Amino acid sequence: MMLLAKAALGVSGALVAAGAYAFHEGVIRVDVDEFRAGGSHVHLWVPAAMVPMTMHFVPKHHLCDAANHAREFLPIAHALFKELKKFPDAEFVEVKDDEQHVQIRTHEGKLQIDVDDPGEKVHLLVPLSTVDDVVGQLEDSAPGA
Amino acid sequence: MLNKHRGHITKAALAAATALLFSQAGVVAQTTSAPAKASQSTSSATAEKGERWLHVRVICTDGRGDTVRVNVPLELAEKVLPAVNHDRLHNGKVRIDDSRMDDVDLRALMEAIRSAKDGEYVTVQGSDNDVRVAKEGNHLMIHVVDKSGPKKSQVEVKVPMKVVEALLSAGKDELDLVAALHALGAQGDVELVSVKDSENTVKVWLDSKNVAD
Repeated sequence: MMLLAKAALGVSGALVAAGAYAFHEGVIRVDVDEFRAGGSHVHLWVPAAMVPMTMHFVPKHHLCDAANHAREFLPIAHALFKELKKFPDAEFVEVKDDEQHVQIRTHEGKLQIDVDDPGEKVHLLVPLSTVDDVVGQLEDSAPGA
Repeated sequence: MLNKHRGHITKAALAAATALLFSQAGVVAQTTSAPAKASQSTSSATAEKGERWLHVRVICTDGRGDTVRVNVPLELAEKVLPAVNHDRLHNGKVRIDDSRMDDVDLRALMEAIRSAKDGEYVTVQGSDNDVRVAKEGNHLMIHVVDKSGPKKSQVEVKVPMKVVEALLSAGKDELDLVAALHALGAQGDVELVSVKDSENTVKVWLDSKNVAD
């Protein structure tokens, strides 16, 4: 009984630590619904901390290629997401017509992009710190970095 | 005695393990709400600093209700703009094509306007357009009425002179956008551009609110 209790304590402690780490940056949420025959419906919840961690396992040459392609935009993205974290929640862009509604805003430290269209709905929620981490890692992987 | 305590310790360990497992949800909830609290505190901090926001609003008046709203904090634009290096824009400065300037010395022109008294400098009244350029209370005003179409359209631009000076503070053949944004941040609430025609209403303005009205 004593051994069982110790094991339970150890396992649950490890679970708590792993859970706390996995969710300490929040969750990335992707929802895509295409309203057509055979249209895809993607609903994805991923712990945000997993993304920069997973990038460590991506082969170096793939990261280098990606960084090379995004070379021109990386400094802009880095400056943008670094600064965005400092500002209060805000709606940065809203485009609305009789059919479409696009919103780009920040909400509780996350970048939120919502596209509502008669043909599809796309909702993306990603912590700003995660995007900043990913951009930072790509910058470090760029040739000559 | 030892056996008696062992039972208590075992029960306590199991209870602690269960509590830890249940508390995980609490940890997640706390960690996800942490940015919210941070965000709120940032919000109040920036409000105290008097954050300046540039707003652009385009409303299509053809009855379909098409609307575009853009809200940008000036400080964000100031920080991000130097990172953009594309075409003529480098380090927050735009290079002016000399050949397109027809030997007009912009700097000398603006210095002349800056040191001059308030007044109307250009007034053109034509069959198609009315144009008026004036200096009023440290602002450069440009007013254009287009009468060529079936319905009149009008453009009004109001730029603080400090912003114009900052814009021209870079080297020759360059416009310093970052300096202009910085100077704009020191201004009070102001409507910079207003365009009204039969199809669209465009408004660009500066204030301390992070939402467009």
